[in-house]
Amino acid sequence: MTLPRVLFVTGKGGTGKSTVAAALALALSRHRHTTLADLDRRLSAASALGAIPENSTAVKVSDTLDVLALTPPAELEAFIDRIVPIRAISRRMLRSRTFGYVTAALPGLEAFLLLERLRIMAGDAALEDRYLVIDAPASGSAVELLSVSSGVKGVAPAGTLNRLANSIDKFLGDATRFGAVITTTVEDLAVREALETAATIRDRLGIATVAAIINCVPDLLFDTSDLAALSPLGDHARLAVRRNAAHEQAALIVSRLADAGLPAISLPMMFTPAIGRAELKKLGRVLNSELLDR
Amino acid sequence: MKPLDLRSHKLAICLGPGGVGKTTISAALAVHAAILGCAVDVMTVDPAPRLLDALGLDADSSEPVEVALDGIAHSRRARANNRARLRALRLDPKRTFDSIVARYASSDAARDTILENRIYRNLSGALAGVGDYMAMEKLLELAANPATDLIVLDTPPATEAIDFLDAPRRLLELLNSRAINLLSAPAGLFRSQLKMVDVAARAVLTAFDRVTGLKLLSDVQSFVRSFDGMYEGFSARAVCAQEKLRADDTAIIIVTTAESSRIAQAREFLGALENAGLRVSVMVVNRVLAELPDAAELASAKIAPSLKKKLKRNLADYAALKTREEVSLSALRASLPTGALLMVAPDLGREPRTIADLAEIARTLRSI
Repeated sequence: MTLPRVLFVTGKGGTGKSTVAAALALALSRHRHTTLADLDRRLSAASALGAIPENSTAVKVSDTLDVLALTPPAELEAFIDRIVPIRAISRRMLRSRTFGYVTAALPGLEAFLLLERLRIMAGDAALEDRYLVIDAPASGSAVELLSVSSGVKGVAPAGTLNRLANSIDKFLGDATRFGAVITTTVEDLAVREALETAATIRDRLGIATVAAIINCVPDLLFDTSDLAALSPLGDHARLAVRRNAAHEQAALIVSRLADAGLPAISLPMMFTPAIGRAELKKLGRVLNSELLDR
Repeated sequence: MKPLDLRSHKLAICLGPGGVGKTTISAALAVHAAILGCAVDVMTVDPAPRLLDALGLDADSSEPVEVALDGIAHSRRARANNRARLRALRLDPKRTFDSIVARYASSDAARDTILENRIYRNLSGALAGVGDYMAMEKLLELAANPATDLIVLDTPPATEAIDFLDAPRRLLELLNSRAINLLSAPAGLFRSQLKMVDVAARAVLTAFDRVTGLKLLSDVQSFVRSFDGMYEGFSARAVCAQEKLRADDTAIIIVTTAESSRIAQAREFLGALENAGLRVSVMVVNRVLAELPDAAELASAKIAPSLKKKLKRNLADYAALKTREEVSLSALRASLPTGALLMVAPDLGREPRTIADLAEIARTLRSI
């Protein structure tokens, strides 16, 4: 599979979006230099990789992997620094409440600046032959973010902003440059949201969907004869049935997603007391073989 | 352990990050209180389709709809007390906002100016706190009904706990702040009254408008200006809402799951609420792993050794997940304020589809 330059990882809250983004960045960095851009204020993906980036300065994780934090306020700050040359004033202004209300009243400004920044970063990544993995917001907000440029075109039918919005749209709509990866679990709600998100992203926004990733799929431990022999065992049987059911559910979901034109990859449940670097590597290996070597 | 009893409360607000089952917990608590004999209203924000079915709501239910409690065993007290009922409704922020604008606008012309404003129409959702404020507004409307004992309020998913609770104050401040002066003063006029930062802020906005050709500034100005006469109405409502939130018979409930990033978020919520002087009554950790089966049972089981080995592995696997969960829970416990309850809702193992499922969730909710 040829992957786009930028992989935008989103999904329902609680489906392990940040874990998947971190594992994906780790996997891709074995092939090419990769940057993980963390859009989450808590920096969960970056900290899973053991790095805490500040501002939008990249922090090195390995020779081929670095992470950076990208926040709408920081983009706004950069924009303001270009306009208000005296730093002391621009800083004070950013801290002022009044200004907070004003930016809130100028809807979409921050999101728009963030998208523009991603477009520029994607250009750099192409020049340097790098991958860019984005730990994006949960699906609802992600769709909002990706829709900002069409919203802007709606209110600015001509002019500079319209041109900017057009170039952002072109970037988002170019499957070699930008694609979405949607995470889910075996839970029906998460799957449904993944399908809805994929449909919105692809059909309404014209953005490529690269794959869906089904997270936390337990391996198949018991066969049918095992389960039959287990029934008198009560709670142990229930736990075994639960594990197998989740595994089988995942297989059904793969075909349900495939029917919707979304190639799906199952990631194994990590039965460990914590998700550390070793677990991310394991997940990364699965992603590597499913995404790149296929 | 007794399940959470909200009978002594008039209002329960469920706050929490997205995707943790806040709506499910809100609905479960409401069903439970109705079973115990209360007249309950539950207001949901973004219910899952099946939950919507369970509550008998359709996409358009912005007014309370009576929920049938058929097949649910009522407590003896509830049977004796014919107040018991459950009503559910769905918040529609846009419609609520439209109706408030209509209520407080000084004239039909002022109302139409707002409703037709480009900012309001296309992008009012992005105006910070509007959806949150509307939930609060609807709440006050429901609370005015003397036949209702308890209102359970589900809130929009938030990254910041305070976003929701603070919405009335923020909207008021926006309407009453220097931002108004900043935005409504025509360039060149009253400059001397503006502070240096305001002049800079104005320069940024003007530059943004110039760069973009959007002329957003004038739209924002007319939007803010048309709220002028509505300030009094908003202000009175916001004060009422603030009082309600801080009342003794209001329970603030944070809902989360045991996943480590959610726990971190829940702890931030706690801190923010504490800073705002709001008291959290309960922290509910939703979908925790059910109790694990007894390992000793395996030792004596008469089954093939190969199968026994598999079962041991299965148990060890889930025990590892349980350990992960317990680490998260003890971190959470350590940050709970005194007097607040820590409760867990074991995973139902299926998506709740019926009122009975919701009642079961409330019944299995226990403090730890």
